[in-house]
Amino acid sequence: MLQKKVCVLGAFGVGKTSLVRRYVQSIFSDAYLTTVGVKVDKKTLTVGTEPVTLVLWDVAGEDDVNAIRMTYVRGAAGYFLVVDGTRAETLEVARRIQERVTKEIGPIPFMLLLNKADLQENWELPTQSIEALERAGWAIFRTSAKTGDSVEEAFQELAKRMVA
Amino acid sequence: MPGLSLAARDASSTAETPPEAARARQLAALLLEVARCVDKDLASVLPSRLDGDPRLEAVRSVLLEQDRAAFDRLQQKVNDPQQLAEAISAVLARAFDLAGSRDEQLATVLAPTMERATQASIRRDPNVLVGILYPLMGPAISKSIAETLDGTLHGLNQAFKHSFSWRGLKWRLEAYRSGSTFADVVLKHTVVFRVEHVFLIHRKTGLLLEHVAAPQAASQDPHMVSGMLTAIQDFVRDSFSPEKGSSGGGIDSLRLGELLLWCEEGPSAFLAAVIRGNPPETFHTVLRGTLARIHEELRGPLDEFNGDSATLGDLVARLEGCLQQQEQPQEKRISPWLWALPLALVLALASWMVLRTVEAYRVEAYVQELRGQPGVVVTGAERRDGKWHVSGLRDPLAADPAELLANSNLGPERVVGHWEPYQALNPAIVVRRIRSTLNPPPDVALLIDGKSNTIRALGNAPQHWVEKARALAAALPAGSPRIDLSALKDIQDPTFIRLRNAIQAHIISFDSGAPRPGPGQEAALDAVASELGELIRVARGLGFSVRVMITGHADSTGKETSNLSLSAARAEVVRSMLRARGIAPDLLSVRSAGALEPLRPGASEQEQAINRSVTFTVSTSD
Repeated sequence: MLQKKVCVLGAFGVGKTSLVRRYVQSIFSDAYLTTVGVKVDKKTLTVGTEPVTLVLWDVAGEDDVNAIRMTYVRGAAGYFLVVDGTRAETLEVARRIQERVTKEIGPIPFMLLLNKADLQENWELPTQSIEALERAGWAIFRTSAKTGDSVEEAFQELAKRMVA
Repeated sequence: MPGLSLAARDASSTAETPPEAARARQLAALLLEVARCVDKDLASVLPSRLDGDPRLEAVRSVLLEQDRAAFDRLQQKVNDPQQLAEAISAVLARAFDLAGSRDEQLATVLAPTMERATQASIRRDPNVLVGILYPLMGPAISKSIAETLDGTLHGLNQAFKHSFSWRGLKWRLEAYRSGSTFADVVLKHTVVFRVEHVFLIHRKTGLLLEHVAAPQAASQDPHMVSGMLTAIQDFVRDSFSPEKGSSGGGIDSLRLGELLLWCEEGPSAFLAAVIRGNPPETFHTVLRGTLARIHEELRGPLDEFNGDSATLGDLVARLEGCLQQQEQPQEKRISPWLWALPLALVLALASWMVLRTVEAYRVEAYVQELRGQPGVVVTGAERRDGKWHVSGLRDPLAADPAELLANSNLGPERVVGHWEPYQALNPAIVVRRIRSTLNPPPDVALLIDGKSNTIRALGNAPQHWVEKARALAAALPAGSPRIDLSALKDIQDPTFIRLRNAIQAHIISFDSGAPRPGPGQEAALDAVASELGELIRVARGLGFSVRVMITGHADSTGKETSNLSLSAARAEVVRSMLRARGIAPDLLSVRSAGALEPLRPGASEQEQAINRSVTFTVSTSD
C-alpha cells in the first residue's frame, strides 16, 4: 500500500487539530502537541483505484517564540497550511511557513486551508491577498472543522496531487 | 581477425584496379557472402570470393570506412595505457555502482584485493589507516564498551537484587554445583523476555516499512506508532543532540514498567523493538544484524523510498527473526499427593510436639501446685512409658494429689502418683492434726504464728479438752511447732459439777460381811442412777463422755484378802444394780479397795459402819 506523510502546519489556534480530528479518529492524546510538539494520526483513502494511507503529522502551531520544528516536516510528501479566517495575521504566518518549507524541504504539494468558514461574516482576510495567492498557483480551500465543510475534499485533493 | 586482414588486402588491391571496379567487386563479394549466409546450399555452388573483381572490394571499402576509422581509434586507445586509464576512469564509478547493486559478485571479487591493499598500507604506514578509522573507532568503541557495561551492570543489578532472597540462596547452590558464577546463574534465571512488536521505520519520512507482532500482542495502529516514534526520536535528537541536524543521538532504549523499547538506527531506516521483560544485551546484536542485512540487500529501494512498500518486497520474514522470547524454565511440578504425605507427617509431628509441649506445661503447673501444698514434698516428675510419674512424700492430712490433678486439665490416666506417707511438721498440717485428733470445741481457734513457729489456741475449752491438748502437744516430735494453750480459758459446766459432786457424795452402806447393800439403800442407788444418767447427757452435750469408777470398801475387821474380795463383790453388786437401773455397763468400772482406803480412819463401830461401803468417782474421757 502507498503511504504518504502529510504535515498540518499553521499558526497557533487556527484549528489544525480540530481539522485533523474532524477527518480522522484520533488515538493519541492531544497532550503530545504540548510535550513533543506533534501528534500523528492516520487516514486511508482511495486515489483513483489505489488505496493511499495518509500519515498526518499535526505539528504544534508557530508563533514568534516557537518556530515549527522543521525536523517534523522532513520526509513529508505534502502539507496543509491552515489559516484562521478570522485572524488576518495567521495568513502571514502561513506564508512564512511555506517559504521555510520550500527552502528547507523543497517544492512539495501543499494546500492552503482557510479555516473557520462557518464564521465567514467575521473574516478579516484581505480578499486581494487571497486572490494574489490564487494567482500565484496556491490551491485554496475554505474549510470548517466545526461543520466539516470541504475537509474531505481538501485531503482528497492533496492526496491526488501527491500521488500524481 | 578476418575483417582486419580483409580490409588490409582490400586496401592493397585498390591500388591495382580502378576505384569503381574495386568497389563493385567488393559489393559483389559482400552480396555473395550474404547469399551464402541466408542459404547454406549456395555455399557449395557459388565461389567463395570473386577474386580480382575490384568492384566488390570498392563496395566493401565504402561500407566499412567509418567503422574502420572508429576501430582504429579504439585500438589506439586500448594500446595506449594512458588513454585506456582515462577512458576507464570515466566509467569506473558507474560500473562499480551497477555491479554492486546487481549482486555481491563485485564485493566478493574485490575483497581479497582490498584486504591485501589494506595489509600493504598498514605495513607501509599504520598511521594512515589509524587516521582513517579514528573518527569511526571512537564512537564504535564507546558504544561497545557502553553495551558491555550495560550487560555487566544488568548482571550485577540482578545479582544484587537476588543475593539475599530465598531464591538467591537456591541459585548460589546451583552456581556452586554447576561451577558457574553466581551472576551467570542469576542472569540465566532472570533473562525472561518476549519481543512483542518490531517496527521497521523509514528514517526520513517516519513511514512504517513493516511491522511484525507476537501473537496476542496488543498495540495501537502501527503506522501511527511508527510516526510518533519517529517524532519522539526527532524531538530527542533536536532537543539534546549537540549538533543540529545530526543523524545520531536518538533514543536507544526506553523503559516503561515491564515494557522496554530498543531502537537500532541505520542509515535509511531504524528498527524499534517493543520488549516485555529483561532481554539479554546480546539481543542488540540480533537487531543490529537484522537491520544491517536489510540495508545491505535493500539499499537502493530504501534510499529511493517514496511511500510504496511494494518496492521493498517481503520484509516480514526478515523481521520475524527478531520476535524472540525466552521463558522462565518451568519448574518440575510435583504431584500434590506427593506433598500430602510429608505435609501430613509434618502436621502430625507438629501436633504431637504441641500436645507434648502443652502436656509438659500442664504437668509442670501441676507439680508447682503440689509443691505449694503443705505436707507434700515432690521428689521427682518424669515421663516414662508414655506416662508422667510424679513421686514424693505426703502427709495423710495434706491435700489429695488426685483432686489437684482433676483440676489441672490432665487426664488421670496420663499421670501416675507415687506418694510415701510421712508426718509433716508444717504448722498448717499440725493444726489439721490437732483438729482431727482433738476435735476442738467450737469456741476454740487455732492460729499459726509463722515467725515463732507457734500454734496458739484461743477461746474457751473444758478442762478435760485442755488436758488432752496438752498431752498431744507433749507427744509431738521434736522440731514441731510449739503449741501455746496459755490463752485458753478453762470452763466448767455448773450442772455437770453439781451432778458430779452429788454422785461422788453418795455412799452405799453395807452390813458387816454382806456383799449386798443394807436395807434402805435402794433409794440411794436410785438417786445415783438418776443423777448418773443426767450427768451422761450433760457431758455429751458438752462434747465429752464420762466414766464412773465404783470402788468397794470393807472395814478393818477380818482378813485382808477377805476384805478385798468382799469389797470387790460389793462394787460388782452395785454396778449390777446400776445396770439394772439403765446405766450402760461400759461406763462403769469397778475397783476393790478392801480396808486399805477407809473412809474413816477410826475403829469405832460408827466409823467401821461407814467404811463398809461403796463410793463413786466420776471421770471424763473422749
